[in-house]
Amino acid sequence: MICAGIDAGSRTLKIVLMDADRLAPVASAVVDQGVDQDRLARDLLEKLLHEQGLRRDDLQAVVATGYGRKLVQTAGTRVTEITCQARGVRHGVPEARTIVDVGGQDSKLVRLKDNGAVADFVMNDRCAAGTGRFLEMLAAQLGTPLSRLGSLVGQSRTPAVVSNMCVVFAESEIVGLLAAGVPPEDIVAGVETAIATRITAMTGRNLSEPILFTGGVALVPGMGEALQAALGRPVLIAPQPQLSCALGAALLAADRSAERR
Amino acid sequence: MSHAAERITLDQWDRRYAALRAGGLCEPAYGGPLRRHVADGNSRLLKLRMDNSPAALRLWNFLLSEEQRLHQARRAGQRLVGAMKDLGTVPVMAYSLDGVAAFYADGAWWLPCLMENRTGMLELADRLGIDDSFCPVRAMLGAFVSQAHFPLPDLITCSVGATCDDMAVIAQRLATLNFDIFWWEMPHRRPPDPGEPGLVLPGGFSAPRNQVDLVRAELGRVRQALESLTGQSLTDGRLAEGIGRANRVRSVLAELRRLAYTARRCPMPALEMLIAEMLAIHFCSDQAESLLVLEELLAEVRSRVQAGEGPLEESAVRVFWVNPVADLRVMNLLEDAGGRICGTEYLFCHALDPIPEDLPPMEALARMALADPMVGSPVDRAGRIVADVRRFGAEAVVISRIPGASHCGLEGRLIGEIVGRRCGVPVLEVEVPPISDALEPALRTRLEALVETVKEGRAT
Repeated sequence: MICAGIDAGSRTLKIVLMDADRLAPVASAVVDQGVDQDRLARDLLEKLLHEQGLRRDDLQAVVATGYGRKLVQTAGTRVTEITCQARGVRHGVPEARTIVDVGGQDSKLVRLKDNGAVADFVMNDRCAAGTGRFLEMLAAQLGTPLSRLGSLVGQSRTPAVVSNMCVVFAESEIVGLLAAGVPPEDIVAGVETAIATRITAMTGRNLSEPILFTGGVALVPGMGEALQAALGRPVLIAPQPQLSCALGAALLAADRSAERR
Repeated sequence: MSHAAERITLDQWDRRYAALRAGGLCEPAYGGPLRRHVADGNSRLLKLRMDNSPAALRLWNFLLSEEQRLHQARRAGQRLVGAMKDLGTVPVMAYSLDGVAAFYADGAWWLPCLMENRTGMLELADRLGIDDSFCPVRAMLGAFVSQAHFPLPDLITCSVGATCDDMAVIAQRLATLNFDIFWWEMPHRRPPDPGEPGLVLPGGFSAPRNQVDLVRAELGRVRQALESLTGQSLTDGRLAEGIGRANRVRSVLAELRRLAYTARRCPMPALEMLIAEMLAIHFCSDQAESLLVLEELLAEVRSRVQAGEGPLEESAVRVFWVNPVADLRVMNLLEDAGGRICGTEYLFCHALDPIPEDLPPMEALARMALADPMVGSPVDRAGRIVADVRRFGAEAVVISRIPGASHCGLEGRLIGEIVGRRCGVPVLEVEVPPISDALEPALRTRLEALVETVKEGRAT
């Protein structure tokens, strides 16, 4: 039996196909977001199914999540990212007690109970400071592809201090740092620290370990270390962090399908 | 109960109103179809879903006709008292006199929402130097200056000190524009020091005796101002009767809240309950009518509870809500997400408690005013919220911040931590601007996630 999870995130759309009997992923894919999210999801799903020699009729259940979940008509059920992240993490890293998820437009902290269910959660407000948007802005300022930022950060010797938490103001600050001759690698390291600091402002005093880092930003080299330093606690990076929410959605689809049987 | 309870749009209300009229609905003078308020500029109604009962119709019409009522009162020669920031004290005194209508000028903070930012009030406040770094209550400044909404009061009172930093700044700016404001002082409530004489206030907070004495003296000055305004003597006997009338409103509201927040199935939506609670503090410029409006709402709620009916699913998640929302639509969003209101703390919960009737009236009012959650420590406020979360059996708490409001910025996080720890329920903090349309997906996600979290917890 095959189920699917679709994570219609703010910057990318992710799909995980799941063998619901074995609770094992069979395929996954990521594409950049577009205007017609439903079509994007449908096309990507068809492609994945085709590659696996499957047909649409083979799908037992589809759960959509992410900020665009309401637009994905292909899905039978819609569930928020918070619940999906928790379900995905409970499957892959069941010992985790805190999830720090940083995506393209938002960041969230999810506290988990001993059984892996959500205890409570915090999400950033309108400000994009603690999100991937900050890194995108930085890449544009430096004229460097986003994928190269990680390799730059490893060369930093003296991370710059980026004091503004607002992305718009920080942009001016970065222009100023560049004009002052600060090396790009130090600016990248400074921005990563600023993002991590912003995330820690959400966490409050009660933070249980293990802490798991998920979301696309966890893929950026240096971000895990920056977060660990800001939190003062060890941080694990989730396996395939960008897909953990779609994985959770696929698992929820499998759960619901099993309940119906 | 005359119709299956549900939340309906304004279009649906048009048809419902026609059917009610055809069925012989009797309405007060301010009655009529809700659609007419859109013509008056309250376009937000087009995006709200409202309860479909005749009682709710009367409540909405009563609320939205307040400006007309104030203008009528002025034409009838009544004295108008604009009370600011005492939340539940000066209006009680004012309505103890004949020929006086009191109202909360700061209630204008909802006009930018109701009129979807087409009032020009916030822009006017901007030009006067009170920008969006302040609470949206700055709309009141625009309302005073433009005189496009309520008539200018004959007496403006404003409490300052511990009540609200934003309000103090806004009212001070108003004073510089030659509006004569009668200031009275409210100290920051603290528990008595060891050995210092103190007493327990209504609601359970404690304060030193000398703070109550100070507030009583300050209210004594307000009493004199009201006497000078009206040429009447505000005797203890009149005050006691006025307190009795205010308590009748509060007792109806207390029963309404008890029924609505403890019923297995929610009998009345969040929006209507929010408006009902507001009536306890300002009476919508007509104390006697506000009692009748609440009594009709209570009868509807009672009938629905007995029938086990309501506009929401019985499985709706029981949410305690902290702080009033700048955008009324967010109360709809909570219910759309699968939640229901089970308890509230809209920053004026002291005004929902009965005023002691076994004390000299001015002493009772002073104790009541000092029981205001805004004038004490946020830890006090959190303590009361914890007690009410348990009393109403709430499964989650939402703390809504008002952009620019100093109280919300400083207190929300602390209250959230205390309530979450002591009640063991998930706590969500959200920020709600006067028009939240652009943020609706984000707000919806948070509220839906809260509902999912509670429902998953129920299942396990």
